[in-house]
Amino acid sequence: MTAQTPQDQAQARSLWSAGWARFRKNRLAMTGAVIVVALYLAAILAPLIAPHDPIEHGEVPRMRYLSPGSAHPLGTDKFGRDVLSRIIYGSRISLTISFLAVAISVVLGSLVGAAAGYFGGIVDSVIMRFVDALMAIPRLFLLLTCIALFSRSVWLIILLLGATGWMATARLVRGQVLSLREQDFVKAAEALGAGGRRIVLRHLLPNTLTVVIVAATLRIGGIILTEAALSFLGLGVQPPTPSWGQMIFEGREVLLGAWWVSTFPGLAIVVTVIGYNLLGDGLRDAFDPKQFA
Amino acid sequence: MMEGNDGIGEGMAPLLEIDGLKTVFYTDEGVARAVDGVSFSINPGETIGLVGESGCGKSVTALSIMRLVPDPPGRIEGGSVLLDGRDLLAISEKEMRKVRGNEISIVFQEPLTSLNPVFTCGEQVREAIGLHQKLGRRESKEQAIEMLRLVRIPDPEKRYGNYPHQMSGGMRQRVMIAMALSCQPKLLIADEPSTALDVSVQAQIIELLLELREQLGMAVLLITHDLAVVAQMAERVVVMYAGVVVEEAPLGRLFAHPAHPYTDGLLASIPKVDAPVERLSAIPGTVPDPLRLPPGCRFSDRCPKRMDKCSVTEPGMFAVAEGHRSRCYLCEGSGP
Repeated sequence: MTAQTPQDQAQARSLWSAGWARFRKNRLAMTGAVIVVALYLAAILAPLIAPHDPIEHGEVPRMRYLSPGSAHPLGTDKFGRDVLSRIIYGSRISLTISFLAVAISVVLGSLVGAAAGYFGGIVDSVIMRFVDALMAIPRLFLLLTCIALFSRSVWLIILLLGATGWMATARLVRGQVLSLREQDFVKAAEALGAGGRRIVLRHLLPNTLTVVIVAATLRIGGIILTEAALSFLGLGVQPPTPSWGQMIFEGREVLLGAWWVSTFPGLAIVVTVIGYNLLGDGLRDAFDPKQFA
Repeated sequence: MMEGNDGIGEGMAPLLEIDGLKTVFYTDEGVARAVDGVSFSINPGETIGLVGESGCGKSVTALSIMRLVPDPPGRIEGGSVLLDGRDLLAISEKEMRKVRGNEISIVFQEPLTSLNPVFTCGEQVREAIGLHQKLGRRESKEQAIEMLRLVRIPDPEKRYGNYPHQMSGGMRQRVMIAMALSCQPKLLIADEPSTALDVSVQAQIIELLLELREQLGMAVLLITHDLAVVAQMAERVVVMYAGVVVEEAPLGRLFAHPAHPYTDGLLASIPKVDAPVERLSAIPGTVPDPLRLPPGCRFSDRCPKRMDKCSVTEPGMFAVAEGHRSRCYLCEGSGP
């Protein structure tokens, strides 16, 4: 818990600016934020900062598997492509997929979980048994089947990852709502004439937000790993579009000789996931009003 | 059932008329009759004190009036609650929502947890206003600040932006009162409004309620176990025991001539400042388990004046004097 500024100072500030002040003091959280912001900047500014073209083949065999050096800081791959440039472009895929997929699953999961928790009884039982059933389906298997049946489009992957990821959020939110529903402020809102929808949207969901944000940032890491796994299995993004998982896949045959082909995209994944996790923890510490009451 | 409002406000139509209200809870061990045929009425602008020990059904009565009894396990099984002649137990949930906070408001016991922690107090007052009135952003904010001023919160413009955790218990209860009164209800139910607060803050809250009652002219149903608070605020007192009304009388009369042995016991258990007492007097025994009520009079097993018939059949309400009724065989035939 961060040290508290005097009461009268704290009162003058809004929740957001007070939270931001706490967040800024947290070094780990700031590290996470810097990593995440840097990644998004890299993805957006990829054409400006990437030293080489990520797709065009180099002069093979002269440029094949060049070890890291001044021309290619992270070396080149089988086709003579610059690994650093491919990692920078690859962040676009990883970040887009993970962000959108998590956004879909958080929105869907929050609404379903809140409905189950608030209305309770038969509604709760039906929804939660449905969630249990969905959770019993092996996710990767479902993804592979759908991708094999339809296409390997990025949007399909986002949709599938989002649609298969909301159950955990639903459970989390339901649990939170179940305990929040018994709180006095919910009874007070009901006594003032607030309806079910208003209570869910204004009194229950905002109070689950901090937990959901932390879970979501942690999930982003998981989604990046899943996407990488899909690409590794050759069912992710269509080559030659670079994606981190695919790069690891491509480098696996030459891991001992040209270690840099797999290692650096792997490191990119590790750094990204750590960055998101640090950011998530920092956000929770900074913005949960119940923690500094 | 007899009319509860004879004597006071005669000729005036009661604001709220509760008749034969029955609320039961279905528990694993059996059916608990928390409120078992409660009848009384409240006139416009009148303050009624509803007193009794913990577990006697006071709060459940209040929740039943608001139709906020948690269901399951609770259910309102009978009776009527007429607000200006309209039966609140018969209208739809949607219509009931328009009554809550608008015509009848309730202030709960727990000011510390009755505010949503993630919104500012001002926003929550504004939300309460917005639930029943269509106002623009600025107007509703101004009115919310006015409400904060009304409940004597110092520097309301600045306090508007405070989060609940930045306020003391007394201040939070003031915010709760501001929310409850934001739509000028005709009836305010105050369920132990000061019990959770420090003694000095308790007095301030009671003072505030007294002032606001004068200012706004609303009726108040004050639920408490504290007879001192009742003596300060109420005009008429309804005493409950184990789910039923055992006595009802104008304030002065109840304190001077309690007719029911239970009321007697309650009054005797108030410590007296002027008389040196070695031991505080207490009513022997405890409130009976609502699942295992004694036969006959519910108070019979604790009653110092028990007669044989008391444990056979339950007494009805007997009139003692004008506006004074009691559920005790001792009062049989003593009325006017």
